[in-house]
Amino acid sequence: MTQHAALSVAHNRAVLVEQLRRLLPGIADFHKTLPFGLPAIDSRLPKGGLACGALHEIVPAPNAIPAAFGFIAAILARHFSSVAPIVFVLPACGFSPSGRLHGHGLHALGLDPARLILVETAHRRDALWAIAETVRSGAPAAVAGFIDKLDLKSSQRLHLFAAEAALPLFLLRPAQNLESSAAATRWRVGTAEAARDRFGLITRPRWQLQLERARNGRPGEWVVEYDHVAHRFSLAAALADPACARGTSKKADRQAHCA
Amino acid sequence: MNEAAEACGLSRGEPVADARAKAGFLQVRGIDPAADDAALRRLALWATRYTPTASPYDEENGADGFFLDIEGAAHLFGGERNLIADLAHRLECFGLPARLAVADTPGAAWAAARFHPKLSPILRRETGEDEDCRSSYVILSSGEEATALSPLPIEALRLTPEICVPLRRLGFKSIGALMDQPRAPFAARFSAQLMRRLDQAFGRLDEPLVPIRPPPVYHTLRYLLEPIATQEAVVALSHRLMATLAHVLTRDDVGARVLRLSLYRVDGDVKTLDIALTLPTRSATHVARMIALKLDAAATADDAGFGFEAIGLAVIRAEAMPARQTELAAPSHPSPASGGGSEWGHADKTERCAVLIDALRQRLGPSSVRRFKAVDSHIPERAEVLAPVTGEALTGLAPEQKAEKPRPLLLLPHAEPTEVTALVPDGPPRRFSWRGVSYEVAGAQGPERIGAEWWRLPPFSAQCRESDRQSLTRDYYLVEDLGGHRFWLFREGIYGRETADARWFVHGLFA
Repeated sequence: MTQHAALSVAHNRAVLVEQLRRLLPGIADFHKTLPFGLPAIDSRLPKGGLACGALHEIVPAPNAIPAAFGFIAAILARHFSSVAPIVFVLPACGFSPSGRLHGHGLHALGLDPARLILVETAHRRDALWAIAETVRSGAPAAVAGFIDKLDLKSSQRLHLFAAEAALPLFLLRPAQNLESSAAATRWRVGTAEAARDRFGLITRPRWQLQLERARNGRPGEWVVEYDHVAHRFSLAAALADPACARGTSKKADRQAHCA
Repeated sequence: MNEAAEACGLSRGEPVADARAKAGFLQVRGIDPAADDAALRRLALWATRYTPTASPYDEENGADGFFLDIEGAAHLFGGERNLIADLAHRLECFGLPARLAVADTPGAAWAAARFHPKLSPILRRETGEDEDCRSSYVILSSGEEATALSPLPIEALRLTPEICVPLRRLGFKSIGALMDQPRAPFAARFSAQLMRRLDQAFGRLDEPLVPIRPPPVYHTLRYLLEPIATQEAVVALSHRLMATLAHVLTRDDVGARVLRLSLYRVDGDVKTLDIALTLPTRSATHVARMIALKLDAAATADDAGFGFEAIGLAVIRAEAMPARQTELAAPSHPSPASGGGSEWGHADKTERCAVLIDALRQRLGPSSVRRFKAVDSHIPERAEVLAPVTGEALTGLAPEQKAEKPRPLLLLPHAEPTEVTALVPDGPPRRFSWRGVSYEVAGAQGPERIGAEWWRLPPFSAQCRESDRQSLTRDYYLVEDLGGHRFWLFREGIYGRETADARWFVHGLFA
């Protein structure tokens, strides 16, 4: 009897929490998530995936801006296959040391470049304004941007806008000046040796992912690879033995020395 | 020459030394036709507050004034007389004495403005409105041209001296003397200009005016009792102007694609803002917001001077915009609070996208919002361009780009030279250094050979081509270093055939 009562209390509480959640802005859509399809990663994230109406920070490891951008493109390609456009807010000078975005390269990652709308801004102030404006309009399916410096207040604003519009917002942040922010997750993306087929041709890019911060989640570290045809992530470690990988790199070392 | 100089007895064509002898306090300034033209143009733009069709004189007309086509606009000011009086008064307030005339034809108005006896006497033939003594105006009522023009000298017909001088020699000093003569001998004796000008003055021949700005499709203008200077006031007023325009636009089933906001300053200057929209619109809220953003970016309100006394909003380009049923619970524009993406219809999405793109464009500049457009070329840096997003492109998707070959995610704006060590001269790289860092190659994939586009090269001799970088074949390699960074390298030129020592470049970075 007491057990039954306790159960009903728990049930009532769950209903109440659900009702309260609905009252908060944007929380109704909060349970819409973007799962990776990898239990190892998804189990670390609340609700089993990247929250849809939230700000996510992607931080590249040194010299890994292309990898970080590739990771964003892979997530976008995997989850947003409808016709709604995706907006990229980029500095007008490109990613200054690493060149400009190449449409054919995006296509090679499975993201249709015709769906992209590129917004180029000259100053950080304009970039922040453009990102906020884009997110608030609710018109695109997703927004990605590059911001070199972001204070806590701006990140809170952006996060709120994203929650209200139920849009995922990905911000690429350079690693030099990372302030605390209101982002739901922070990923550090590094490079890793690509997956090759038996002829030694690169088939799938691999990235070293580090979930540094996750609100209501647990951090973790993985090496994932991405298949641009199937839009699928998979764990690299499950396929390639780390010891084996080390072996190849040693072999390559030796070859390099010979050369 | 100004009035004071004339009072001293100076005249045109006099040497400066003589003039100085007559008036020792004389100040001499060089003539600046460009500044004169600019000032006249500014004044003509200002005059568009009376009518959209203002046409500055061309060279043949003397280039010192402008025509205003006030047909259909005069009643807005309570008749021609009130309009011209208002214009004369305002010009006088600017310190610009002018001679004004209203007539049925541009030719007659030109003649009357220059030579009508009721106006202040002409001291100098060639000088125009800017230097007259008294501001005044005449109005030739309809059908009165013949009597009004007949006592005027033949120069009033806008004839070149090559025609005027022989005519005077023949005894034709006034228009009246010329008017009733048989046409055939004159047509045979003089060039066609004489008869053309005569006919134009009396309305027998049409004289098209070239407006200073193409006249808008729809136009609305509001005069203010009290000048306004703040941005909020401008935006609020343009909202109301667009609301009045919206009725007409709805009636004609069109929407505005390009709008122009004209701000008439009290001191006679005109500021114009052009607002181009991605999709046709009739929404006053949207237009007002675009104007607010544009004003933010241009900081026009800062140089409002003493304020704006009139504000005009014109639709420069209108496009068909069929009426569409609005949704019942359609939220107003900046309403992020309600609605996830799925509830929105496709048309609504497109519209919201267009609204967003418009807003971004007004603040960041017209070329800031772009999209990739594939170009049919194998050369990587030529294989795509960034094209501005248009409303048509929003609704339909561009054709898919096909790339079976590896392509980098980031392409360097210019291929950067690099030092490469390779086992064999035309083999894949083993080690390379780029930007001062050396990379050990773990694996290289390639080559992918991309030839030059010979049809784009200038037709020079073979020696010239060798030195030309564009004409060399490139061998691209996808290279991965030990740290997992992936690069796109190419070697320029084929050994033995195109070059003796090939150079290597880094061209892109893979994800």
